[in-house]
Amino acid sequence: MATVTNWIDHLNKPAEEVAGAVYPGAGSSETLLVILGVVIWLGWHVLTARNESEELSRLARKRHGANDHKNNVTDW
Amino acid sequence: MTDQLGALTTIFTEFYYWITVVLMFLIHVGFCMYEVGASRYKHHQHTLMKNTMLIPLVTVTWFFFGWWIYWAFPTGPGLAPSIMNESAALITDESTFSAKWYMPNTEFMAVNLGDHISGVFWAAFLLFSWTAASIVSGAIIERITTFAFGILAIAIGSVFWTIDAAWGWHFDGWMLKLLGYHDAYASGVIHAIAGGFALGVLMVLGPRIGKFSSSGEPRNIGPRNPWLVTVGLFLIYTGFWGFYAACNIPIFDLGPEYGMEGISYWTATNIYVTPTTLSGITFNFLMSLSGGLLAGYWIAKGDPFWTYSSGLAGIICASAGNDLYHPIQAMIIGMIGVVIAYKLHYWVERKFKIDDAVGAVAVHGYAGVVGLIICGFVLNGYPSSGYSVGAMWDGSTYASINPLGQLIGAFIMFVVLGLIPGYVLAKILNGMGKLRIPREVEIAGLDYEMMESAKEDEKAVSSATR
Repeated sequence: MATVTNWIDHLNKPAEEVAGAVYPGAGSSETLLVILGVVIWLGWHVLTARNESEELSRLARKRHGANDHKNNVTDW
Repeated sequence: MTDQLGALTTIFTEFYYWITVVLMFLIHVGFCMYEVGASRYKHHQHTLMKNTMLIPLVTVTWFFFGWWIYWAFPTGPGLAPSIMNESAALITDESTFSAKWYMPNTEFMAVNLGDHISGVFWAAFLLFSWTAASIVSGAIIERITTFAFGILAIAIGSVFWTIDAAWGWHFDGWMLKLLGYHDAYASGVIHAIAGGFALGVLMVLGPRIGKFSSSGEPRNIGPRNPWLVTVGLFLIYTGFWGFYAACNIPIFDLGPEYGMEGISYWTATNIYVTPTTLSGITFNFLMSLSGGLLAGYWIAKGDPFWTYSSGLAGIICASAGNDLYHPIQAMIIGMIGVVIAYKLHYWVERKFKIDDAVGAVAVHGYAGVVGLIICGFVLNGYPSSGYSVGAMWDGSTYASINPLGQLIGAFIMFVVLGLIPGYVLAKILNGMGKLRIPREVEIAGLDYEMMESAKEDEKAVSSATR
């Protein structure tokens, strides 16, 4: 996976020939990484939206008053 | 990099933008503090998390497509040909500044020893994106779902503002060429569009429960913690320095860039690659801030909330032309913007029952629009771009700055790319039942369960003997 295994060899070339991209998997893994990133991003929306809907429904059913939260004020 | 002077110039530029990013981070810290201070106790934690989570959402989408849009869309597409490839299509060819290099799977969107600028420039623009989304966030506190806000934040932060930046902020943007649009420090491309977008969302979202009496009279829901609001706004002022610096190119040789043979002219430039100085804009930043504070203190009769916000509105109003104004012009323009924004805020609130919880539409939207329009008169006749020094490929030049162009530009920013998309997206989310929290939750407080749980923990700990 390592793109560079020896910095002296890597830099000891004419400037225009020194490869710029030095991250693991350079030149072969970028598209796969982007797909993975997009899946994580969209998946996050799905998971958190579900959590939020459940929380809001549960709280709405309890019908607390506008000042009830004051009973929950902590001293710490 | 093999020559020392070239390396110094490149690494100075890299470090310059990096510093602006760090400074601009304070804008977001300030927005978070401001929103929490403005919200009521029972909504604090959700308010904070809503604004915080726009950071990762806008960042990842800015990486996936926001940055690409900026480089692809300067031509419209279809409205004015690019000076790079003479085509009016999306710029995705082999041009130096083509969007092709900013696809998320290219080697320039990563650690690259041959590219010291892409990452820091990407980040500077990303911080502008956060700001655009955060402006919207404040207006809609205490009643929007975090899901809906996430979608709206991505829309304004990674799509609509970046389109307007491509059109009106890019050196190749069609609005410069056809309208003579000038907006050096983003009165329109950040503030007017975000204010318009917020207004569009508010029109659908509706006011907080209790904001208006049964007869329609607005009630004041003042900031719960004015000191947190104060510190938040001071931090936004501080971050704004980074914002201004990030809108400049710190060192550039304009001679070869403008095609002037044998001429070398090193200078800082604004985003349009026309000359200005960091020193000059420092005059104008402080004088427009001062104008805003002076006018705000006067018109709001010393109200701290509006006075601080007016300092911001003063800068925002003068920002379109702060690369060229005289400092006293900047101060007066800031004052005018504040007076109009303040009056409009209360008129719109009463007339249309719009509940803008933090005055974001006024401070950013109205002040931004006013600033663009004034800029058209004060800077009338200045070139909108350095590239108009010589004729373009077809013999035409970029339009000069002019009042009509700025007026149309303000309409595009506030209405076309701001208000309409905000309204339409909010309508869609509302239709899905995902926009607003249930009435019972708004009354109880978004944090009710968190607070209840903390109280239980407290009881358990305080009654513990070991």
